[in-house]
Amino acid sequence: MTRHFTRREVLHAGATGMAGAATAWLAPATARAADAPAKKFKIALSNSYIGNKWRIEMENVFKAALEMEPFKSQVEGSWFNSGNDVSKQSQQISNLIAQRVDAIVVNAASPTALNGILGQATSRGILVVSFDNVVTAPTALKVNTDQLEFGRKLAEWLAKKINGTGNIIMVTGVAGTTVDLDRNKGADAVWAKYPGIKVVNRYTGMWDSSTAERNTAALLPSLPKIDGIWCQGGTDGVLKAFINAKRTPLPPTAGEAENGFRKFMIGYMGQKVDGISIGQPPFLSVISLELARRVLAGKYPKKDITIPFPYVTNDTVRPGETVFPQLPDSFFTDFTDGGASPMLKLCVDAALDGKACPGTLSVVLPSA
Amino acid sequence: MSPELAAPRRRRSLSVHIVGQNAGLLLVFAMLAAAVALYCLFYWMQQRSFPGNFELTSTVDNTMPLAMAAIGQTIVVLTRGLDLSVGGIIDLTNALAAVHMQDSLGSMLGWTVLVLLAGAALGFLNGLLVGVGRLQPIVVTLATLSIFQGLAIRVLPQPGGAIPPGYTALLVNMNQPWALLYLVLCAGLWLAFRRSAIGVAIIAVGNDEAAARANGINVVRSRVIAYTLSGVFAAAAGLFLAATATAGDATSGNGFTLSSIVAVVLGGVNLFGGRGSAIGAMAGGFVTTMIVNILFFSRIDPLYQSFYEGLFLIIAVVVGGGIGRMLRRRR
Repeated sequence: MTRHFTRREVLHAGATGMAGAATAWLAPATARAADAPAKKFKIALSNSYIGNKWRIEMENVFKAALEMEPFKSQVEGSWFNSGNDVSKQSQQISNLIAQRVDAIVVNAASPTALNGILGQATSRGILVVSFDNVVTAPTALKVNTDQLEFGRKLAEWLAKKINGTGNIIMVTGVAGTTVDLDRNKGADAVWAKYPGIKVVNRYTGMWDSSTAERNTAALLPSLPKIDGIWCQGGTDGVLKAFINAKRTPLPPTAGEAENGFRKFMIGYMGQKVDGISIGQPPFLSVISLELARRVLAGKYPKKDITIPFPYVTNDTVRPGETVFPQLPDSFFTDFTDGGASPMLKLCVDAALDGKACPGTLSVVLPSA
Repeated sequence: MSPELAAPRRRRSLSVHIVGQNAGLLLVFAMLAAAVALYCLFYWMQQRSFPGNFELTSTVDNTMPLAMAAIGQTIVVLTRGLDLSVGGIIDLTNALAAVHMQDSLGSMLGWTVLVLLAGAALGFLNGLLVGVGRLQPIVVTLATLSIFQGLAIRVLPQPGGAIPPGYTALLVNMNQPWALLYLVLCAGLWLAFRRSAIGVAIIAVGNDEAAARANGINVVRSRVIAYTLSGVFAAAAGLFLAATATAGDATSGNGFTLSSIVAVVLGGVNLFGGRGSAIGAMAGGFVTTMIVNILFFSRIDPLYQSFYEGLFLIIAVVVGGGIGRMLRRRR
C-alpha cells in the first residue's frame, strides 16, 4: 500500500532537509514489505493542473476510492500532479513506467503532447486510461462525457419548462475550447426546433462564478424581461446578479453543478428557482480506476466509455446528498452520481478530504 | 625576482583564476551530480535497483527541448537581454512541423530546414525591434510572444497533426539515449562560437556596451544575431518537442519561456550579461528535470510538489550565487 506523507511529515521533512525525508521514508517502506501477501495491481493517477476545486475533488474521490473495497485490497494506488507542463507530465509518466505500474490513469495537459510517452507505456504492456482532457493516442482507453449532450439536455429542459416561448440568455464558457463549442452547438440545435424562443444575449461567464456575475450585472440593465437562463458554468453568479438587479422572482435556470446554484433550488437568499443542474462529474477518475482494475483482471474488454451526465432538477435535488447547505457555493456537488440509476455512490467526505466512505464501493460500468 | 621563484606562484594564481572564471559552470555540474546521486538514492530505496537505460533515455529525451531553448536564451542573456518569446516560437514551430511534415526523407529534411529558418526569421524580428528599434527586450519579446502564440493557434487550431515515426527515431530515439549526441554537438558548437568573432562581440556587448562600441564592435548587428540565434534554437526545441510528442499542440511550448530562464540561471549565466556558458544552461535544464524525478521517487505529497520545486530552485540559486561570489572574492 503506498503511503503518502501527511502534511506534518512533509513540513518536518522540509525542515530537516532531504536527509530527514530519506530516513522518514524508510519506516513505511519496511512496513509495506510485510503486509502485502497477495499481488496488487499498481495503478497510478497522472494529473496535470490541480489549481481549481474540480481537480481537487477529482483527485480526492480517487484517493477515497483507493481506501474502499474492492480497491483497498486489490489496488496499490498513487497520484501525481504536474501542472500544465507537458515536459513535466511526460517525465512523471516515464517515472511511472520505470516503477513498472500496471496501469496509468491520466488527465492530460495536452491531448497530443503525451502521445509519445504513452505509446511507450502501452508498448511495455502498461494499460493507459485517459479521462476528462483525453488524449488522442490510439492505444489509450478513453473515459469521458458527451459535451454536445450537456448543451442539448440543458436546452431541452429549459424549452419545455417555458413551453417553447420566451426570451432567454446564454452564458457560455471559455472560448476556443472544444468543450465550449460543443455545449453551445448542442443548445443551438434545440433552439432551432423552437421558433418561439429568442436568445436575446449570449456572453461568456468563463466557467467562473465571479466572472459570470460581473458580466451579467453589466448586461442586465440593457436586457428585456428574461424568461429562462441557459448557463455553462458560474450559474450561482448569474443568479446573484439577477437578485442584485432586483430581477426577481428568478426565471427557470439550466446550469452547472455548483453547490450555490443547487442551494437556490431548495431556497437560498430568499429566492427559490426551478432548474436543472448538470456537471462534468469529478468521479470520472474513479470510473477510470474501475475500468483499469477490471481490464487488468480480465473482466472487461479494452474499450472506451462515454458516461451519461448525472443531473438533478429542483424536483429531485436532496439536501445532504446532492446539495449541501453548509458547504461553500463553489463546491461541485456532482462528486457522486445523483441520477436515477447511479454508476456509483460516494459520500461528501470523499470529495472534501479524500476519506473513505462507509461500506464497499460498487461502480457500474456500461454493459460490455 | 628570478623566474624560478615567480613561476609556481603564477601557476597557482592561474588555476584559481580558471576556477573563478568558470565558477558558474563548475557549480551547475556539482549541482547536477548531487541531483543525480540523490535521484539514484531515492530510486534505489523504492525500486531496490538503479536507474538504467530507459530512465536515462527518457530523461534525456524529455529534457532536449528545454536544453535547446536554454542555449538560445543564454545567447540573448549574454547581451544583457531577455527573450520571453521563446515559448511562442516553440508553439509556432512545433505546430508547423506537426501540420506539414510527411513521412519521406525529403519532407523531413526540407521541413527541418524550413522550420529552423522560420525560427530564425521570428528571432530576427525580435532582434530588429530590440537592436535597431532600441526598445526594451522584455517589452518587445512579451509582445511578440503573444503574436507568435496567436499565429501558432492559426496554424494548428486544435491539438493534432502527426510527426512521422522515422523523424522521432532520428531526433529522440526512444530506445537508446542517442539524443546525447546532439548535446555533445551543441557543446562543441558553443565552444567554437564563444571563440568566434561574433561570439566575442556578443559577450563584449553584454559586459560593457560603450566599451564594446569604442573598440569597433557593431552593437546593433551583435544584438540582431543573438536574437536570431535564439529563434533558431527555439525552433530546434519545437522540433524536439514535436518529435517526443509524435504530434503537435500549439500551446505546449508556453512553459518554456520561464523554464528556459530557470535553466539559464541555474546554469550560472549572469542575468546582467557578459558572463556565462550555454553548456551550463543545458546542465541547468537537466537539473530541473532531475528535481522532478527526485520529488517523484521521494514520495512527497503531490500537492506540495511545486512548493518543493520552487524551494530547491531558490536554494540552488542562493547557494550557487554565494559560492560564486566567495570564489571571485578570494581571487
